[in-house]
Amino acid sequence: MKTKLSRRALLALPLVGAAGVAGRAAAAVGGLPTKTAHDDSSPEWELLRERLFQRRPITTGAAAQVQLTVPLRAAYGASVPVKIVSKLPQGPQLYVKRLWLLVDKNPSPLAALLDITPEVGQADFETRLRVDEYSHVRVVTELSDGSLHGDSRYCKTSGGCSAPPNRSAPELVGKTVLKLLEGVNGVKPNAPTTADVTVLHPNDTGFELNQVTVMYIPPHFVRSLKLSYAERKLFDAELDFSVSENPTWRFQFVPHAQGLLQAQVEDSKDRRFSGQLAVSVS
Amino acid sequence: MRRWPAFAMASMLAAPALAALPAAYTPLVIEPTGLPARAEFDLTAALARAKRENKRLYVYLGASDCPFCRRYEAFLNQNADELRPHFAGWLIVDLRSSLRVQADRLHIRIGPKSLPYAEFQRSIGDERARQLVYPSVWLFDTALQPLMQMPAGTGTFETVPEQLEILRLEQ
Repeated sequence: MKTKLSRRALLALPLVGAAGVAGRAAAAVGGLPTKTAHDDSSPEWELLRERLFQRRPITTGAAAQVQLTVPLRAAYGASVPVKIVSKLPQGPQLYVKRLWLLVDKNPSPLAALLDITPEVGQADFETRLRVDEYSHVRVVTELSDGSLHGDSRYCKTSGGCSAPPNRSAPELVGKTVLKLLEGVNGVKPNAPTTADVTVLHPNDTGFELNQVTVMYIPPHFVRSLKLSYAERKLFDAELDFSVSENPTWRFQFVPHAQGLLQAQVEDSKDRRFSGQLAVSVS
Repeated sequence: MRRWPAFAMASMLAAPALAALPAAYTPLVIEPTGLPARAEFDLTAALARAKRENKRLYVYLGASDCPFCRRYEAFLNQNADELRPHFAGWLIVDLRSSLRVQADRLHIRIGPKSLPYAEFQRSIGDERARQLVYPSVWLFDTALQPLMQMPAGTGTFETVPEQLEILRLEQ
Protein backbone atom coordinates (compact mmCIF):
# COMPACT_ATOMS: atom_id res chain seq x y z
CA MET A 1 0.00 0.00 0.00
CA LYS A 2 1.40 3.36 -0.97
CA THR A 3 1.26 5.84 1.88
CA LYS A 4 4.14 8.17 1.13
CA LEU A 5 3.01 11.67 0.27
CA SER A 6 5.07 14.02 -1.83
CA ARG A 7 6.66 16.93 0.01
CA ARG A 8 4.53 19.33 -2.00
CA ALA A 9 1.37 17.59 -0.88
CA LEU A 10 2.52 17.55 2.72
CA LEU A 11 3.35 21.23 2.70
CA ALA A 12 -0.23 21.89 1.68
CA LEU A 13 -1.48 20.12 4.76
CA PRO A 14 -1.16 22.97 7.26
CA LEU A 15 -3.26 25.27 5.10
CA VAL A 16 -5.98 22.71 4.73
CA GLY A 17 -5.71 21.95 8.42
CA ALA A 18 -6.05 25.57 9.38
CA ALA A 19 -9.18 25.88 7.33
CA GLY A 20 -10.46 22.67 8.80
CA VAL A 21 -10.13 23.76 12.40
CA ALA A 22 -11.53 27.25 11.98
CA GLY A 23 -14.41 27.77 14.33
CA ARG A 24 -13.75 24.64 16.36
CA ALA A 25 -12.99 24.93 20.02
CA ALA A 26 -11.48 21.54 20.69
CA ALA A 27 -7.89 22.62 20.16
CA ALA A 28 -6.09 24.91 22.54
CA VAL A 29 -4.58 28.14 21.36
CA GLY A 30 -0.84 28.18 21.86
CA GLY A 31 0.19 29.14 25.35
CA LEU A 32 -3.21 28.56 26.84
CA PRO A 33 -3.88 25.83 29.36
CA THR A 34 -5.64 22.70 28.35
CA LYS A 35 -6.72 19.46 29.92
CA THR A 36 -5.64 17.57 26.87
CA ALA A 37 -4.53 13.99 27.46
CA HIS A 38 -1.49 12.44 25.84
CA ASP A 39 -3.59 10.04 23.80
CA ASP A 40 -6.22 12.54 22.68
CA SER A 41 -6.75 13.35 19.05
CA SER A 42 -6.73 16.82 17.49
CA PRO A 43 -8.32 18.27 14.36
CA GLU A 44 -4.89 18.45 12.75
CA TRP A 45 -4.18 14.82 13.58
CA GLU A 46 -7.49 13.69 12.13
CA LEU A 47 -6.52 15.38 8.89
CA LEU A 48 -2.97 14.07 8.88
CA ARG A 49 -4.09 10.60 9.77
CA GLU A 50 -6.48 10.54 6.83
CA ARG A 51 -3.87 11.91 4.44
CA LEU A 52 -1.01 9.69 5.53
CA PHE A 53 -2.68 6.46 6.60
CA GLN A 54 -6.20 6.62 5.19
CA ARG A 55 -8.37 4.21 7.17
CA ARG A 56 -5.63 1.78 8.11
CA PRO A 57 -5.81 0.80 11.77
CA ILE A 58 -3.07 2.11 14.05
CA THR A 59 -2.40 0.09 17.18
CA THR A 60 -1.94 2.32 20.21
CA GLY A 61 -1.68 1.86 23.96
CA ALA A 62 -0.03 -1.13 25.61
CA ALA A 63 -0.23 -3.24 22.47
CA ALA A 64 1.64 -0.72 20.35
CA GLN A 65 5.13 -1.75 19.30
CA VAL A 66 6.49 1.76 19.71
CA GLN A 67 6.85 4.12 22.64
CA LEU A 68 7.42 7.87 22.54
CA THR A 69 8.95 9.97 25.30
CA VAL A 70 8.55 13.76 25.20
CA PRO A 71 8.58 16.06 28.23
CA LEU A 72 5.25 17.59 29.23
CA ARG A 73 7.13 20.90 29.38
CA ALA A 74 10.43 21.43 27.62
CA ALA A 75 13.09 23.93 28.57
CA TYR A 76 12.74 25.58 25.16
CA GLY A 77 10.15 25.10 22.43
CA ALA A 78 12.91 25.23 19.82
CA SER A 79 14.63 22.17 21.23
CA VAL A 80 12.25 19.59 22.60
CA PRO A 81 13.93 16.25 23.27
CA VAL A 82 12.13 13.32 21.69
CA LYS A 83 12.89 9.63 22.22
CA ILE A 84 11.40 6.78 20.22
CA VAL A 85 11.77 3.21 21.42
CA SER A 86 10.71 0.21 19.39
CA LYS A 87 9.51 -2.72 21.46
CA LEU A 88 10.48 -4.98 18.58
CA PRO A 89 14.09 -5.90 17.67
CA GLN A 90 14.85 -5.52 13.98
CA GLY A 91 14.73 -9.11 12.74
CA PRO A 92 14.80 -10.39 9.18
CA GLN A 93 11.20 -11.58 9.45
CA LEU A 94 9.63 -8.60 11.20
CA TYR A 95 11.09 -5.12 11.55
CA VAL A 96 10.22 -1.45 11.61
CA LYS A 97 10.48 -0.30 8.03
CA ARG A 98 9.05 3.20 8.19
CA LEU A 99 8.58 5.82 10.87
CA TRP A 100 6.65 9.09 10.86
CA LEU A 101 7.33 11.78 13.46
CA LEU A 102 4.71 14.50 13.66
CA VAL A 103 3.91 17.67 15.60
CA ASP A 104 0.19 18.29 15.13
CA LYS A 105 0.15 22.07 15.36
CA ASN A 106 3.43 22.98 13.73
CA PRO A 107 3.28 24.96 10.47
CA SER A 108 4.70 21.88 8.80
CA PRO A 109 3.59 18.99 10.99
CA LEU A 110 5.55 16.12 9.43
CA ALA A 111 8.94 16.58 11.06
CA ALA A 112 10.52 13.38 9.78
CA LEU A 113 9.82 10.32 7.69
CA LEU A 114 12.34 7.53 8.13
CA ASP A 115 12.84 4.57 5.84
CA ILE A 116 14.56 1.97 8.03
CA THR A 117 16.34 -1.32 7.35
CA PRO A 118 17.00 -4.27 9.65
CA GLU A 119 20.67 -3.16 9.66
CA VAL A 120 19.95 -0.78 12.55
CA GLY A 121 19.34 -3.76 14.81
CA GLN A 122 16.98 -1.80 16.96
CA ALA A 123 14.76 1.01 15.64
CA ASP A 124 15.31 3.38 18.55
CA PHE A 125 15.89 7.04 17.79
CA GLU A 126 16.41 10.29 19.66
CA THR A 127 16.26 13.79 18.23
CA ARG A 128 15.12 17.31 19.08
CA LEU A 129 12.12 19.04 17.58
CA ARG A 130 10.68 22.50 17.35
CA VAL A 131 7.20 22.69 18.89
CA ASP A 132 5.43 25.89 17.94
CA GLU A 133 2.49 25.75 20.31
CA TYR A 134 0.82 23.40 22.77
CA SER A 135 0.60 20.28 20.67
CA HIS A 136 0.72 16.54 20.49
CA VAL A 137 3.91 14.99 19.23
CA ARG A 138 3.22 11.65 17.56
CA VAL A 139 5.13 8.72 16.20
CA VAL A 140 3.73 6.11 13.85
CA THR A 141 5.74 3.10 12.75
CA GLU A 142 4.99 0.70 9.96
CA LEU A 143 6.27 -2.83 10.43
CA SER A 144 7.37 -5.04 7.56
CA ASP A 145 4.07 -6.92 7.85
CA GLY A 146 2.24 -3.69 7.02
CA SER A 147 0.82 -3.08 10.49
CA LEU A 148 0.88 0.44 11.95
CA HIS A 149 1.72 1.29 15.54
CA GLY A 150 1.51 4.68 17.20
CA ASP A 151 2.15 6.62 20.35
CA SER A 152 1.71 10.28 21.28
CA ARG A 153 2.61 12.77 23.98
CA TYR A 154 1.17 16.19 24.66
CA CYS A 155 3.78 18.90 25.02
CA LYS A 156 3.14 22.29 26.58
CA THR A 157 5.54 24.72 25.02
CA SER A 158 5.47 27.39 22.34
CA GLY A 159 7.49 29.54 19.99
CA GLY A 160 9.70 26.75 18.72
CA CYS A 161 9.45 27.73 15.07
CA SER A 162 10.06 31.45 15.62
CA ALA A 163 12.74 31.30 18.31
CA PRO A 164 15.69 33.60 17.56
CA PRO A 165 18.43 31.72 15.76
CA ASN A 166 21.40 30.70 17.83
CA ARG A 167 24.21 30.48 15.32
CA SER A 168 27.73 31.67 15.82
CA ALA A 169 29.86 29.99 13.14
CA PRO A 170 28.26 30.21 9.67
CA GLU A 171 31.42 28.79 8.09
CA LEU A 172 30.66 25.50 9.79
CA VAL A 173 27.21 25.05 8.24
CA GLY A 174 26.98 21.56 6.83
CA LYS A 175 29.70 20.05 8.98
CA THR A 176 28.46 16.55 9.67
CA VAL A 177 29.77 14.78 12.74
CA LEU A 178 29.33 11.11 13.58
CA LYS A 179 30.09 9.80 17.05
CA LEU A 180 29.75 6.56 18.90
CA LEU A 181 27.97 7.11 22.18
CA GLU A 182 30.38 4.95 24.13
CA GLY A 183 33.44 5.76 22.04
CA VAL A 184 35.37 3.42 19.80
CA ASN A 185 35.72 0.95 22.64
CA GLY A 186 31.96 0.75 22.96
CA VAL A 187 31.49 -1.01 19.64
CA LYS A 188 29.51 -4.19 20.11
CA PRO A 189 30.21 -6.73 17.35
CA ASN A 190 26.98 -8.08 15.89
CA ALA A 191 24.88 -6.17 18.40
CA PRO A 192 23.13 -2.80 18.24
CA THR A 193 25.63 -0.02 18.90
CA THR A 194 24.52 3.54 19.61
CA ALA A 195 25.75 6.42 17.44
CA ASP A 196 24.92 10.09 16.96
CA VAL A 197 24.89 12.12 13.78
CA THR A 198 24.83 15.91 14.02
CA VAL A 199 24.65 18.34 11.11
CA LEU A 200 25.69 21.86 12.00
CA HIS A 201 22.93 23.75 10.26
CA PRO A 202 20.59 26.62 11.21
CA ASN A 203 17.54 24.66 10.06
CA ASP A 204 15.78 27.97 9.58
CA THR A 205 12.02 27.73 9.54
CA GLY A 206 11.15 30.92 7.69
CA PHE A 207 9.35 32.17 10.82
CA GLU A 208 12.41 33.56 12.60
CA LEU A 209 12.86 37.31 12.62
CA ASN A 210 16.26 38.83 11.98
CA GLN A 211 16.51 41.18 14.96
CA VAL A 212 18.70 43.63 13.00
CA THR A 213 16.97 43.83 9.62
CA VAL A 214 13.50 43.05 11.02
CA MET A 215 13.06 40.76 8.03
CA TYR A 216 12.10 37.13 8.27
CA ILE A 217 14.98 34.75 7.69
CA PRO A 218 14.17 32.58 4.64
CA PRO A 219 13.69 28.88 5.31
CA HIS A 220 16.85 26.84 4.97
CA PHE A 221 16.86 23.40 6.47
CA VAL A 222 18.20 19.89 6.16
CA ARG A 223 15.73 17.94 4.09
CA SER A 224 17.49 14.62 3.64
CA LEU A 225 19.79 12.51 5.76
CA LYS A 226 21.04 9.09 4.64
CA LEU A 227 22.94 6.82 6.99
CA SER A 228 24.89 3.74 5.97
CA TYR A 229 27.42 1.39 7.48
CA ALA A 230 29.92 -0.56 5.37
CA GLU A 231 27.97 0.65 2.33
CA ARG A 232 24.77 -0.91 3.60
CA LYS A 233 21.83 1.37 4.20
CA LEU A 234 20.79 1.92 7.81
CA PHE A 235 18.03 4.46 7.26
CA ASP A 236 17.06 7.38 5.05
CA ALA A 237 15.32 10.34 6.63
CA GLU A 238 13.21 12.94 4.89
CA LEU A 239 13.27 15.91 7.24
CA ASP A 240 11.71 19.30 7.72
CA PHE A 241 12.30 22.48 9.69
CA SER A 242 10.35 21.04 12.60
CA VAL A 243 13.64 19.41 13.52
CA SER A 244 15.69 21.74 15.74
CA GLU A 245 18.73 23.62 14.52
CA ASN A 246 21.88 21.53 14.25
CA PRO A 247 19.75 18.43 13.58
CA THR A 248 20.92 15.50 15.66
CA TRP A 249 19.78 11.92 15.50
CA ARG A 250 20.79 9.16 17.86
CA PHE A 251 20.38 5.74 16.30
CA GLN A 252 21.61 2.16 16.43
CA PHE A 253 23.54 0.06 13.96
CA VAL A 254 24.99 -3.45 13.99
CA PRO A 255 28.69 -3.58 13.16
CA HIS A 256 29.49 -6.96 11.69
CA ALA A 257 32.96 -6.06 10.48
CA GLN A 258 35.22 -3.08 10.06
CA GLY A 259 33.60 -0.37 7.99
CA LEU A 260 32.70 3.25 7.48
CA LEU A 261 29.70 4.80 9.13
CA GLN A 262 28.60 7.41 6.62
CA ALA A 263 26.06 10.22 6.51
CA GLN A 264 24.91 11.94 3.32
CA VAL A 265 23.09 15.22 3.84
CA GLU A 266 21.16 17.49 1.52
CA ASP A 267 19.54 20.77 2.48
CA SER A 268 16.74 22.86 1.03
CA LYS A 269 19.20 24.88 -1.07
CA ASP A 270 20.40 21.64 -2.68
CA ARG A 271 23.71 21.84 -0.86
CA ARG A 272 25.23 18.45 -0.10
CA PHE A 273 27.35 17.54 2.87
CA SER A 274 28.75 14.33 4.25
CA GLY A 275 30.46 12.87 7.25
CA GLN A 276 32.05 9.56 8.05
CA LEU A 277 33.53 7.60 10.89
CA ALA A 278 35.74 4.54 10.68
CA VAL A 279 34.46 1.80 12.95
CA SER A 280 36.61 -1.17 13.81
CA VAL A 281 35.30 -4.37 15.27
CA SER A 282 37.62 -6.44 17.40
CA MET B 1 1.64 48.15 15.66
CA ARG B 2 -0.35 48.20 18.85
CA ARG B 3 -0.48 51.64 20.47
CA TRP B 4 -0.79 52.08 24.20
CA PRO B 5 -3.02 54.92 25.38
CA ALA B 6 -0.95 57.74 26.81
CA PHE B 7 -2.66 57.55 30.20
CA ALA B 8 -1.87 53.83 30.39
CA MET B 9 1.78 54.46 29.60
CA ALA B 10 1.89 57.22 32.20
CA SER B 11 0.33 55.03 34.85
CA MET B 12 2.74 52.21 34.03
CA LEU B 13 5.71 54.50 34.35
CA ALA B 14 4.41 55.89 37.59
CA ALA B 15 3.64 52.51 39.10
CA PRO B 16 6.16 51.24 41.62
CA ALA B 17 8.14 48.22 40.49
CA LEU B 18 6.76 45.59 42.84
CA ALA B 19 8.94 42.58 42.19
CA ALA B 20 7.87 40.06 44.70
CA LEU B 21 6.08 36.84 45.22
CA PRO B 22 2.88 37.40 47.21
CA ALA B 23 3.41 37.60 50.96
CA ALA B 24 0.69 34.98 51.44
CA TYR B 25 3.23 32.34 50.37
CA THR B 26 5.72 33.55 53.01
CA PRO B 27 8.67 33.44 50.64
CA LEU B 28 12.24 33.62 51.80
CA VAL B 29 13.42 36.76 50.04
CA ILE B 30 16.99 36.91 48.79
CA GLU B 31 18.34 40.21 47.51
CA PRO B 32 21.42 40.24 45.29
CA THR B 33 24.83 41.30 46.52
CA GLY B 34 27.80 42.58 44.53
CA LEU B 35 25.82 45.12 42.50
CA PRO B 36 26.34 46.76 40.09
CA ALA B 37 29.20 44.59 38.80
CA ARG B 38 27.23 41.44 39.33
CA ALA B 39 24.14 40.15 41.08
CA GLU B 40 24.95 37.25 43.32
CA PHE B 41 22.18 35.29 44.99
CA ASP B 42 23.30 33.20 47.94
CA LEU B 43 21.18 30.09 48.38
CA THR B 44 23.20 28.76 51.33
CA ALA B 45 20.78 29.86 54.04
CA ALA B 46 17.76 28.74 52.02
CA LEU B 47 19.23 25.31 51.56
CA ALA B 48 20.06 24.99 55.26
CA ARG B 49 16.53 26.00 56.20
CA ALA B 50 15.00 23.59 53.69
CA LYS B 51 17.03 20.79 55.23
CA ARG B 52 15.96 21.78 58.75
CA GLU B 53 12.32 21.91 57.77
CA ASN B 54 12.59 18.92 55.44
CA LYS B 55 11.10 20.87 52.57
CA ARG B 56 11.75 21.03 48.88
CA LEU B 57 12.87 24.32 47.38
CA TYR B 58 10.75 26.32 44.95
CA VAL B 59 13.21 28.95 43.76
CA TYR B 60 11.74 31.84 41.80
CA LEU B 61 13.87 34.36 39.93
CA GLY B 62 11.92 37.49 39.10
CA ALA B 63 12.88 40.89 37.76
CA SER B 64 11.53 44.20 38.99
CA ASP B 65 10.93 45.44 35.44
CA CYS B 66 9.61 42.26 33.83
CA PRO B 67 5.93 42.17 32.78
CA PHE B 68 5.90 38.37 32.61
CA CYS B 69 7.09 38.24 36.22
CA ARG B 70 4.24 40.55 37.24
CA ARG B 71 1.81 38.25 35.45
CA TYR B 72 2.98 35.15 37.27
CA GLU B 73 3.04 36.94 40.62
CA ALA B 74 -0.48 38.23 39.99
CA PHE B 75 -1.61 34.71 39.13
CA LEU B 76 -0.18 33.38 42.40
CA ASN B 77 -1.77 36.23 44.31
CA GLN B 78 -5.19 35.74 42.77
CA ASN B 79 -5.16 32.03 43.53
CA ALA B 80 -3.39 32.09 46.86
CA ASP B 81 -6.25 30.55 48.83
CA GLU B 82 -6.39 27.56 46.52
CA LEU B 83 -2.69 27.13 45.87
CA ARG B 84 -1.10 27.87 49.23
CA PRO B 85 -1.95 24.50 50.83
CA HIS B 86 -0.26 22.73 47.94
CA PHE B 87 2.94 24.65 48.59
CA ALA B 88 3.05 23.39 52.18
CA GLY B 89 5.94 21.03 51.50
CA TRP B 90 7.95 23.68 49.72
CA LEU B 91 10.25 26.42 50.91
CA ILE B 92 9.55 29.24 48.48
CA VAL B 93 12.58 31.36 47.69
CA ASP B 94 12.20 34.72 45.98
CA LEU B 95 15.31 35.93 44.14
CA ARG B 96 14.82 39.58 43.28
CA SER B 97 16.62 40.72 40.17
CA SER B 98 16.11 43.08 37.25
CA LEU B 99 16.22 42.73 33.47
CA ARG B 100 19.54 44.57 33.43
CA VAL B 101 21.03 41.52 35.07
CA GLN B 102 21.67 39.10 32.25
CA ALA B 103 23.35 35.71 32.31
CA ASP B 104 26.89 37.05 32.43
CA ARG B 105 26.22 39.08 35.60
CA LEU B 106 23.98 36.70 37.48
CA HIS B 107 25.75 34.41 39.94
CA ILE B 108 24.44 31.74 42.26
CA ARG B 109 26.31 31.00 45.47
CA ILE B 110 26.03 27.88 47.57
CA GLY B 111 28.44 27.82 50.46
CA PRO B 112 31.92 28.84 49.34
CA LYS B 113 31.16 28.26 45.65
CA SER B 114 29.75 30.98 43.43
CA LEU B 115 28.99 30.18 39.80
CA PRO B 116 27.85 32.37 36.92
CA TYR B 117 24.37 31.52 35.65
CA ALA B 118 25.33 29.33 32.69
CA GLU B 119 27.92 27.41 34.65
CA PHE B 120 25.51 26.91 37.54
CA GLN B 121 22.91 25.58 35.13
CA ARG B 122 25.37 23.22 33.52
CA SER B 123 26.51 22.02 36.94
CA ILE B 124 22.98 20.88 37.76
CA GLY B 125 22.26 19.55 34.25
CA ASP B 126 19.66 22.21 33.50
CA GLU B 127 19.02 22.70 29.75
CA ARG B 128 18.29 26.37 30.30
CA ALA B 129 22.03 27.08 30.48
CA ARG B 130 22.07 28.64 27.04
CA GLN B 131 19.67 31.45 27.81
CA LEU B 132 18.47 33.28 30.91
CA VAL B 133 14.75 33.95 30.83
CA TYR B 134 12.80 36.00 33.38
CA PRO B 135 10.99 34.68 35.30
CA SER B 136 12.62 31.35 36.01
CA VAL B 137 11.70 28.64 38.50
CA TRP B 138 13.87 25.83 39.82
CA LEU B 139 12.67 22.89 41.90
CA PHE B 140 15.30 21.36 44.18
CA ASP B 141 15.46 18.71 46.85
CA THR B 142 17.36 19.37 50.05
CA ALA B 143 20.60 18.23 48.41
CA LEU B 144 20.05 20.88 45.73
CA GLN B 145 19.39 18.26 43.11
CA PRO B 146 16.87 19.41 40.49
CA LEU B 147 13.58 17.54 40.83
CA MET B 148 12.72 17.99 37.17
CA GLN B 149 13.67 20.02 34.12
CA MET B 150 11.68 23.23 34.22
CA PRO B 151 10.66 25.28 31.18
CA ALA B 152 12.03 28.70 30.39
CA GLY B 153 9.53 31.20 31.79
CA THR B 154 6.34 30.47 33.68
CA GLY B 155 3.80 30.83 30.87
CA THR B 156 2.98 27.12 30.83
CA PHE B 157 1.87 26.98 34.46
CA GLU B 158 -0.23 30.04 35.04
CA THR B 159 -3.44 28.21 35.75
CA VAL B 160 -4.23 26.41 38.99
CA PRO B 161 -4.30 22.92 37.41
CA GLU B 162 -1.01 23.54 35.65
CA GLN B 163 0.66 24.98 38.73
CA LEU B 164 -0.42 21.83 40.52
CA GLU B 165 1.12 19.74 37.73
CA ILE B 166 4.40 21.45 38.50
CA LEU B 167 4.12 20.82 42.23
CA ARG B 168 3.31 17.17 41.54
CA LEU B 169 6.42 17.03 39.34
CA GLU B 170 4.44 15.79 36.34
CA GLN B 171 6.74 15.33 33.39
